[in-house]
Amino acid sequence: MARKEEYTRRTILRYIVLLIFGVIACRVAYIQLIDSSYKTLAAGNVLRYEVQYAPRGEVLDRNGEFLVQSMECYDLMVIYRDLPKEGFDTTLLCSLIDLREERMVQKLKDARMSPRAPVLVTNFVSKEAKLRFDEHNFQGFHTVQRNARQYPRKIGGNLLGNLGEVSENDIKRSEGEYRAGDYIGKSGLERAYEEYLRGDDGVNVLERDAHGAIKGSYMEGMYDTLPVPGLRITSTIDARLQAFAEELMEGKVGAVVAIEPSTGEILVMASSPTFDPDDMVGRQRGNNYMKMLGDKYRPMFNRAVQSRYPPGSTFKLVQGLIGLQEGTLRPENAYPCNMGYHWGNVKMGCHAHPSPLDLRAAVAQSCNAYFCYVFRNIIENRKFKNVKEGLDVWVDYVKSFGFGRKLDSDFLDEQEGYVPTSERYDRVYRGSWNGHTVISLSIGQGELGCTPLQMANLAAIVANRGYYYIPHIVKAIEGQDSIDRRFYERQYTKVESKHFEPIVEGMWRGVNIPGAGTSSRAYLPGWDVCGKTGTAQNPNGRDHSTFLSFAPKDNPKIAISVYVEHGGFGASAALPIASLLEELYLTDTITRPEMIQQVKNLPYYLPERYR
Amino acid sequence: MQQNNQISLFGGVDRVAVLLYLLLVATGLLCITSVSFEEPEITEFFSFSRFHIKQAIWAAAASVVAIVILLLDSRYFHMYAYYAYALGVLLIFGTIVLPESIAPTFNGAKAWYSFGSFAVQPVEFTKITVALAVARLMSNYDYSIRKIGDMAHVAAIILLPLAIIILQNDTGSGVVLCSFIIVLYREGLNNWICIPLIMVATLFIFSFLFTPLILLLVLVLLFTLSSAMMVGRWRTHIVFVAGVLLAAMLLYTVGEVIGWDLSGYNALVICSLAGAALAAVYAIRKNLTPIFLSLLFFIGSMVFVPTADKIFESVLQPHQKERILSFLGIVNDPKGADYNVTQAKIAIGSGGLVGKGFMQGTQNRYFVPEKETDFIFTTVGEEWGFVGSAVVLTLLCAMILRLMKMGERQQEPFSRIYCYCVASVLLFHVMVNVGMNVGLMPVMGIPLPFLSYGGSSLVAFTILVFIAIRLDASPTKGLSALQ
Repeated sequence: MARKEEYTRRTILRYIVLLIFGVIACRVAYIQLIDSSYKTLAAGNVLRYEVQYAPRGEVLDRNGEFLVQSMECYDLMVIYRDLPKEGFDTTLLCSLIDLREERMVQKLKDARMSPRAPVLVTNFVSKEAKLRFDEHNFQGFHTVQRNARQYPRKIGGNLLGNLGEVSENDIKRSEGEYRAGDYIGKSGLERAYEEYLRGDDGVNVLERDAHGAIKGSYMEGMYDTLPVPGLRITSTIDARLQAFAEELMEGKVGAVVAIEPSTGEILVMASSPTFDPDDMVGRQRGNNYMKMLGDKYRPMFNRAVQSRYPPGSTFKLVQGLIGLQEGTLRPENAYPCNMGYHWGNVKMGCHAHPSPLDLRAAVAQSCNAYFCYVFRNIIENRKFKNVKEGLDVWVDYVKSFGFGRKLDSDFLDEQEGYVPTSERYDRVYRGSWNGHTVISLSIGQGELGCTPLQMANLAAIVANRGYYYIPHIVKAIEGQDSIDRRFYERQYTKVESKHFEPIVEGMWRGVNIPGAGTSSRAYLPGWDVCGKTGTAQNPNGRDHSTFLSFAPKDNPKIAISVYVEHGGFGASAALPIASLLEELYLTDTITRPEMIQQVKNLPYYLPERYR
Repeated sequence: MQQNNQISLFGGVDRVAVLLYLLLVATGLLCITSVSFEEPEITEFFSFSRFHIKQAIWAAAASVVAIVILLLDSRYFHMYAYYAYALGVLLIFGTIVLPESIAPTFNGAKAWYSFGSFAVQPVEFTKITVALAVARLMSNYDYSIRKIGDMAHVAAIILLPLAIIILQNDTGSGVVLCSFIIVLYREGLNNWICIPLIMVATLFIFSFLFTPLILLLVLVLLFTLSSAMMVGRWRTHIVFVAGVLLAAMLLYTVGEVIGWDLSGYNALVICSLAGAALAAVYAIRKNLTPIFLSLLFFIGSMVFVPTADKIFESVLQPHQKERILSFLGIVNDPKGADYNVTQAKIAIGSGGLVGKGFMQGTQNRYFVPEKETDFIFTTVGEEWGFVGSAVVLTLLCAMILRLMKMGERQQEPFSRIYCYCVASVLLFHVMVNVGMNVGLMPVMGIPLPFLSYGGSSLVAFTILVFIAIRLDASPTKGLSALQ
């Protein structure tokens, strides 16, 4: 490189350095000396971001009555640095907002650690308390509006679910959607429909003066965003029926589920014992929660979708239907019953009734022996290689009725129940078993387990003569044309519609022809109620009482399943509850107050594990 | 320079550079001390968890390192330059391949080694080794930057670590290596390579400021202007521009009427390309080479801008994108991307002429994030005002100019090139760091030399500068004289 050019480049570089520093210095001078807006901003001690919490969507019942409302409440915050040096009247403040003084002292100690950040002192300050607080000027304290859940009918604790503060995991998984201190649906409908109910929080950007007092909106609210309230959800629940079901189930352990067969909408879902959903809101939530966790009846266990009950005699409906479809049973087939079913050393007892019976009468009378024959004929059919294959075909049928698998309802914590397969028996009996070994399946006992929701769904399937809609609890979401499309699709069972007639007929006879069956107390004049009782033996003590029913026989409006743990005969505990609910739903009146009384006075027996 | 011949320990050491260094480090310590006292309740001054105490320990360590460097034989730097380079590359490569337990990921960048409670960012040291290697290579007797092979050689030396740093997800630190373009320029890199490179960088930023149509319009005007400035013939150029624009408008209107789905941008692209072809023919006829150059750059820019978008979308980190966009005024969200810069400007702006006084600042300590590292300049601005900022800027500027001066007075090319490398790295750091503090540059997470909190950075800059001082202190006869 030529000497001259080298010199030029040297000089150019030196000037570039000076130019860069010159530009920066000019910029600094401009910011510091000429443009006064930064000073103004700084003098304002700048900004405070105040989150405007979005009110959570409300939940209505199918008739527009509020099940869940949003109630205004407030968080009391403190900014430690802004507290007056000379102290303040702690006693007064605590009495205003109804807080224990030790807690206040503890919170102030916590707040010292981050003196400039607003620290939560207490949440769920009522509106009245907040107004009282506003009358005094407590320097350093301020309130933030939140929304709490309120339950005007105090029903459906497990069904509606509850809210809790987001966990670390929720925050991480949400990728910025949630901040610490936000509430999130923890169970039931609140959890399943979180994204709709939640809404979007807004923010107010506020400017503060040198003393920390709020001066007003920053940049005339240019950066403010309004909260978008959560969507209102109309549930399928009938509040009056739900409340009545909970009232009838009081003091018993079990579940009631009622479905509208033509839509799959859940009208009632009562799990007993239940709890007052308002107990899960507010400052006492933690205490109440712990109390319920310790409760041996496990009130937070939603029996309607999470338990695994033996279906008992109600399962004979499925048995009969499979037999008809397989062609191993014809409605006019009659089988003998001599106080039960006897085969070698296998014995299945039955109650006293005329014998032999055909299918319709056997359903009405709930004959055990009859369905032992039906079941054996299904699985020991000669068209199958062996009984294993027969059982596998049977399992396929049973699963098509929604048993042994999740129904895919909108309960995220729904359980599958259990339907045993041939592998299971191979394992248990080391491969050597036959129709007699598993004979208890024929009357819905043995390894079978199902949720009350699955049983109610069975009632809906029989009511619809062969198909069901996936049971769901949400009817409509505000601003949306439809709910999830899976709830509009008919789910067909593997049994054709034509085979349902004798079963329905048997259920009808059991209720409507005096002396013909076990369910006559469920009779409602003019409504053609169909029903099937069930009495499920169990190793823990007295039999479970269950009743499955739908009405009317043609164009059914309600399908219902009632399950009372250790309630005794199906006709004694579950039947009257189901019948009363049907009556209220269909006729809007109760004509049998003595039956309510009887249900309430039912002696029931609780086994060891609940005591 | 005569005293350099003395056999004394620190003979020939450039006192001005050392003084500037000490002043800058002391200023940094004061600033860090100031921001460390955030909590009025905490009265414990001497606690090892406090930033200023940690930084003071680092400063002590750095001065030991500085003395060791001054005691070393200056030939070693020349001798071991390539070994050091290999080590430097290995170190940054190690952060990628080693497991998380040794090389953890901070802020999305897998660029750290962790030793118990403290972490080291090897890229700070890699800068030194790259500078040494560049100096060693370019000081070879038969090296000429004007030869394509030699140019590729030096480019490879710079780009290899740059590529690794980009793999580390630490693009901000990697961009620093681009500052070596200054050294290459000083050593005679062709103007026609320097100018496009700088243009690329400028265009990259511009392409986010303007819509494609306006950008293209600006390009057409700009290159016609440059061509006119080189060739003269102003009337022809004006007619040309007017023709291209009119044709584009006509094409667009016709397209609208007929029903082609032709955007204004596409119409202008077609017409300007047609115009470019015409201009090329014209240039051949009249034998006017500068027009060719303008055309070449024009086409290059047109290809570059859409590619820049692609690169922007795929190469940069989300936070880097956000910051660049925020810098360009596209995202204006006081809570999000713009928050740091807005608060930094407020803090500096509130300082006024003489500032609020030592430890009296409120804005930076309460509202500026990363106030002890990347935004340390806000403390200078707020507490010491414009006077203080000017002094610090002057010190930094003096340091850079001093290093350049030291470079120029070397007879050994190795020392000269190394000094320029150091000056370039410092210049880049100061430009980007202070630039982002005052809202002139996008936020890139580059420390302010000597002032920012951070052990790796302080020690690395100390080594960088003191090697230059050591080389400068060698007898003027250079390395060969000692042998």
